Amino acid sequence: MADAAARPRNPDRRRALLSALLLLPVCALLLVFFLAPLIQLVNLSTFAQQPSAQNLKPPHSLANYLNILSDPFYLQITANALLVGFWTTIATLVISYPVAYYITKISGWERTLISVACLLPLFVNVIVSILGWYILLLPYGVIQQILSSLGLVTGSLQWLRTMPALVGVLTYEHIPFAVLILVSSLQAIPQDKINAARLLGAGIPRIFFTLILPLTMPGLVASAILVFSLSASSYLVPILIGAQRIKVLPLSIFSYGTELQNWPLAAALSIVLLILVVAITYLFARTMNRITRRGEWEMV
Amino acid sequence: MLGLRIFVYIVVVLMLLPVLITFPVALTSVARISFPPVGLSGRWFMAIFSDTVLLDSIIRSFWLATAAAIVAITIALPCAFVIHRSTSRARELLETWITGPRMIPQIVFALALLAYFETIGLAETFIGLVISHLVITIPFAFRTLLVSVSTMDKRLEWSSDVLGATPAQTFWRVMVPQLKTGLIAAFIFTFILSFNNVTLALFLSGFGQRTLPVEMFQRMNVGGMTPAIPALSFVLALVGVVLFIVLDRTVGVYRFLAGRD
Repeated sequence: MADAAARPRNPDRRRALLSALLLLPVCALLLVFFLAPLIQLVNLSTFAQQPSAQNLKPPHSLANYLNILSDPFYLQITANALLVGFWTTIATLVISYPVAYYITKISGWERTLISVACLLPLFVNVIVSILGWYILLLPYGVIQQILSSLGLVTGSLQWLRTMPALVGVLTYEHIPFAVLILVSSLQAIPQDKINAARLLGAGIPRIFFTLILPLTMPGLVASAILVFSLSASSYLVPILIGAQRIKVLPLSIFSYGTELQNWPLAAALSIVLLILVVAITYLFARTMNRITRRGEWEMV
Repeated sequence: MLGLRIFVYIVVVLMLLPVLITFPVALTSVARISFPPVGLSGRWFMAIFSDTVLLDSIIRSFWLATAAAIVAITIALPCAFVIHRSTSRARELLETWITGPRMIPQIVFALALLAYFETIGLAETFIGLVISHLVITIPFAFRTLLVSVSTMDKRLEWSSDVLGATPAQTFWRVMVPQLKTGLIAAFIFTFILSFNNVTLALFLSGFGQRTLPVEMFQRMNVGGMTPAIPALSFVLALVGVVLFIVLDRTVGVYRFLAGRD
């Protein structure tokens, strides 16, 4: 009786309880299988050697980090990973922006065709597209045959295992992410603003640089951040296309984590990668924010 | 505009080329990867069905993706409801938390789970693999469902309530029909993400328990590559494209997927 009387008096509390109950499965899952493993990874990175059955808890030390920071090899692979990420981001944005703009201007089956092509890497397994590029780029492969028949090259082309091939295939993989973000940000530009600019006599370059570009800047920044963090931490393309010739940091995480079984070192490398990527993207977002805010004021 | 059009179509050709090239390469009659194909035969398409290791990995990947997609949607849907109806501050916090796994590079997360599963006894188990796929697909399932939930008409629920329907009746008869396309989109999207994932299974699956992408990776990286792999690649790409077109023509890809930003 008392219970029934109390219930309607606390609808807010009941609602909160229900909400918490509905959120519980996902929150618990992420707590136990996302946050906890990452915390353990930080802990693992301070072990001086691989934990084993005899030695479950090796002593803590910063040996792994000192090792990474003092070894020119690790500094080189870190720089390589960031460089690969940088060039991939530039190439992806330069290609995706015009494509996304074109997609917003068309409709019907043409739109579906171009969308299928540009979002293909999202729907097709990454191994499939890497295999395709591998066949295309192989010495005496498809691209070489086309170029030789046009009389453009002679001898064998050594494109596989080079930096441009690596950046090219990574760009291919990441174009969908940029196109998705850029299409929605270009679509959000109100058409009457463009019409107003046109009525006031602005030419196409002026409309682009003072209106479209500043308005889509948040989308550009978001796609740059996403593409950079994904490509700087990629290891599949460096293994299969770069054939481990271009050493990047994620390759070392992969080999220490799997074949070489040195988890503490792999963990320390992961954390170095994570901190660098987060720091770079954060600084980039802050700088861009400051610049574009000024742009917004000018625009009003 | 013409210059732009030419540029876009060059990009389109380059995007399609690596996937299309697997078809002629698979039509060869010899056991090595070559272009143009030597002779014409469909034997490598048939070879997929006699390769039991490959078939097992396809079946394993299929069940893994199905399980991950169903569970991810089941537990992400209530979150989408709660978050859609909560205040802006709580909403921002919860959204960041649920979409958090997207921020961590997958190789880092895979390594973390490898060590973690070792300590809690889930190493090299199928259930461990399903859990790992859940964590990485929930952000995407959640975003897709949130789009769907926020377009629902709340007045229909009130009407149903006023007309005396129980909450369960309102849910199944009023809310689920409105969410149907969103649920299908979320299922297809989550399924594809999980089916195509390489990294987690590469780190976490036990010996002889490889998923399809891992099996393909190993054959490319270590050896054992025959034109059956391009043949299978072409079939997989075709399935992917068909699913994509279905998704785009029914619900609109940009509407549901742009939640990635």
